Amino acid sequence: MKMMTYSEGIREGMSIRMREDPNVILFGEDVGAFGGCFGVSMGMINEFGPERVRDTPISEGAIIGCAVGAAATGLRPIAELMFCDFLTVGMDQLVNQAAKMRYMFGGKISMPMVVRLPAGAGTGAAAQHSQSLEAWLTHVPGLKVVYPSCAEDALGLMLSAIDDDNPVMYFENKTLMGVKGEVNSFDPIPLGKGKICRKGEDLSIITYGRQVYDALEAAEKLAQDGVSAEVIDLRSLYPLDKALIGETVSKTHKAIIITEEVKRGGFGGELSAIIAEEFFDYLDAPVVRIGALDTPVPFAPNLEQYYMPNAQDILAGAKKIL
Amino acid sequence: MASIGIIANPASGKDIRRLVSYATTIDNNEKVNICKRIVLAAQGLGVDSAYFMPETFMIGYAVKDSLESDGVLSLSLGVLDFEIEAAMEDTVRSARMLEELGVGCIVVLGGDGTSRAASKGITKTPMLSISTGTNNVYPAMMEGTVAGMAAAAVSLMSEPYECCIHDKRITVRVNGEVRDIALIDAVVSDDFYAGAKAIWDPERIRRIVVTRCHPATIGFSAVAGAYRIVEDTEDTGFAVELGQHGEGVLAPIAAGVLTPVHVADARTLRLGEEYRFVSESRCMIALDGEREVLVTPGSEVSLTVERDGPYRVLPRKALQRAAELGMYRLK
Amino acid sequence: MAISKEQMKDMYVKMRRIRDFESTAAKLFAEGKIPGFVHLYLGEEAIAPAVCECLRDDDFITSTHRGHGHIIAKGGDLNLMMAELFGRETGYCKGKGGSMHIADRDKGILGANGIVGAGHCIACGAGLSAKIRGTDQVCVCFFGDGSTNQGTFHESLNMASIWKLPIIFVCENNHYGISMSQDRHQAIKDVADRGAAYNIPGIAVDGNDPLAVYEAASEAVARARAGKGPTLLECKTYRQHGHFEGDPAIYKPKEEQAAWMEKDPMPRYAKFLVDNGVCTAEEVEAMDKQVAKEIDDAIAFADAQPIPSLESAVVDVYSDIVEEVRDR
Repeated sequence: MKMMTYSEGIREGMSIRMREDPNVILFGEDVGAFGGCFGVSMGMINEFGPERVRDTPISEGAIIGCAVGAAATGLRPIAELMFCDFLTVGMDQLVNQAAKMRYMFGGKISMPMVVRLPAGAGTGAAAQHSQSLEAWLTHVPGLKVVYPSCAEDALGLMLSAIDDDNPVMYFENKTLMGVKGEVNSFDPIPLGKGKICRKGEDLSIITYGRQVYDALEAAEKLAQDGVSAEVIDLRSLYPLDKALIGETVSKTHKAIIITEEVKRGGFGGELSAIIAEEFFDYLDAPVVRIGALDTPVPFAPNLEQYYMPNAQDILAGAKKIL
Repeated sequence: MASIGIIANPASGKDIRRLVSYATTIDNNEKVNICKRIVLAAQGLGVDSAYFMPETFMIGYAVKDSLESDGVLSLSLGVLDFEIEAAMEDTVRSARMLEELGVGCIVVLGGDGTSRAASKGITKTPMLSISTGTNNVYPAMMEGTVAGMAAAAVSLMSEPYECCIHDKRITVRVNGEVRDIALIDAVVSDDFYAGAKAIWDPERIRRIVVTRCHPATIGFSAVAGAYRIVEDTEDTGFAVELGQHGEGVLAPIAAGVLTPVHVADARTLRLGEEYRFVSESRCMIALDGEREVLVTPGSEVSLTVERDGPYRVLPRKALQRAAELGMYRLK
Repeated sequence: MAISKEQMKDMYVKMRRIRDFESTAAKLFAEGKIPGFVHLYLGEEAIAPAVCECLRDDDFITSTHRGHGHIIAKGGDLNLMMAELFGRETGYCKGKGGSMHIADRDKGILGANGIVGAGHCIACGAGLSAKIRGTDQVCVCFFGDGSTNQGTFHESLNMASIWKLPIIFVCENNHYGISMSQDRHQAIKDVADRGAAYNIPGIAVDGNDPLAVYEAASEAVARARAGKGPTLLECKTYRQHGHFEGDPAIYKPKEEQAAWMEKDPMPRYAKFLVDNGVCTAEEVEAMDKQVAKEIDDAIAFADAQPIPSLESAVVDVYSDIVEEVRDR
């Protein structure tokens, strides 16, 4: 066992594969000597050199497109976008190129690439540096999407993301970077496998990323009131562990979905629809869906706090269905 | 009433020599800028009208629009009116029309090839060539303002030829028929297609005939120049034959490229003297750097240097003479 | 770089293959045999064959929506191409890509592309990949004048320049971005001028003369292979048809069209070959016949191929996950 921060988990995941495979490279804005905007790749340039830990110009389209071309020709690139908000600038390369090439070309091309996407509010970075845009990507056939919440998952999911022959969108939450956790395994975590973070009988809280911590906090409070809540960390949004969702809902008959995205059109809606379509018979109450405000992310700390969903929202939601 | 003509070639300065050597790059927007300076300088000294060659980049119109919107254009600026072919013929035709209009000087922006084409359209109008091409020998590197002043001075003075030199040129004949002319050099190579037009590979060069040569120039005339100097004022030309053997010289055949070549034979040519050879196989004759004339096997080729080229303005002399004539004095 | 007579003939065969393939595609499209839409390379045949003559099988190319010519020049299989245009199961993309998405990874063809300007970035990736893997492969990025107004063009030239990537950016300047003529869509005449902004040599050649293109491309490829970085090679040409088949191209002046038809690369190059003793008129005729047969065979092949099964629709979205076929 080893204690590691979330960002060390990401770094270790990348470094393990880079040690093993010279075709794995990391590039993005300021990932080199600067160590990445959130320090995730700090020191990697010393171990792997500037060729493989490569600073790019501020050109998000070229960064993602370069990963596409590199992946198509024998490398396993990891591209970092400094903030997932910058997806807007490179979206064509991701959605029209990376995601579709295998299919358009009749399965004759492989696209083993990872795009790292630091996401989430809570850092006072306002509307263009704080979004949670996972729903844009889960909407696109051809992409896989993961979102670890702790160091061990960050490491294990990174290994799987690099090993995968498809483009994997790897969300990392900025507010979790310094969160320490036990790392008991250095093995890949298969994509599409969620986990139960806390077992419970009366209510399921289904989430991922930073909201796992809100869910655990809420579950603790609910326990004080004698309510046993189960907390599910999906970890992978596509492929999605539908079996685990089915299991937990069939046991508790009540589901709260909490995600940090704006609620409108979010991935939480997709989860809710899946439960309604496939597990309706298990439900004893309507699904509760919690997201951020349907606004851009505001700047002032009090507004930003108000914008983000939290444990209180889960407690309020639980009250409605218990 | 004094007028000048401006021929600016938008196609110059982007040939293959940027790949095989370290040649200059001047983009078309910079050519527009240079032309603005020429027009303003000419207008400042009292030229009333300027005519541009029409071409694909529409440099003349760009100059007019810009200077008019700045409110600084006072001379009458026009663009010659004809259907362009986007080829060298446009340059020849423009030069001819400008001479017919009676302009006092034609300013040519381009490389050796552009000046060569312009010279083919004129007989007596003084020509001032500015380099915006590659590896140039004929046109000079010059600030547009100075060029505009010199062109104005020549067009305003009564004895313009005092400030010009009557240049030599090479006439190329194949089987007795005049095929083309060159201002600086005619280079015979083993190529049999024009390809990327420019000529740069010394391995394929067989013969070089020059009107003038000096080690202070670049291009194939520099090979002759590295061997022997012939000034523009001298009434001779020069011919060299390259081979595997013979005296080796180091010559700047392209921008930044000094290449060893072997001169198998070299001789001075008198004006009017024919330099003859019979082609053994297909070959190309490059004129002022561009592959132009294809020669079939067994053809008799003759290259003759004569002093029947254009009247080239000597800008320093023209500006000096302008001072003597009081052209800069406030009235 | 010197070119042999065999290479000259090889270029002709490829040019002829493209001309006949495209003319046939136009006819088949008009007859309703090809679904969707096709963008033809007619008039631009001198470029891709001459550029690809300088490449090895393991070199890469990225292509465009007007990609048939690039794919044929890089050695694409006519039968598989035609079958794909017909939307058949055995086509290059199993009937899932069509005209705009033909790729052949084994021949280094990283795909035609429906997004204008997308190939530039992908070429950077291929170039970086060659560099990291320590090979001397190069990547040719084909694109039109229209795409040089996309941000990706500028991002990629910059990236390729700072990293000295082995890329030849080949601009097929056909003077139109869809219906917008070059003088309306950009304030420059020579795309080559844009090289200077990124410290890349920018050169312009007659794109209707395969020998001019070959000379420039061979130097650019040698430069890239030697690790000296990218080149921007502009080939001036003309799109003889509309943007896609069915576009009557009313925006093209008749005189302009006529002037460029005079410069049609096909008769011009055939004449060059015969006039200069590279081959006889009979040999040209024989090459034409051989290509005509190849095209006939491709049509016959494509016609005989099955349409894709509906089950195949869900395959190849991912390498490992196959979505279920489901009712809606």
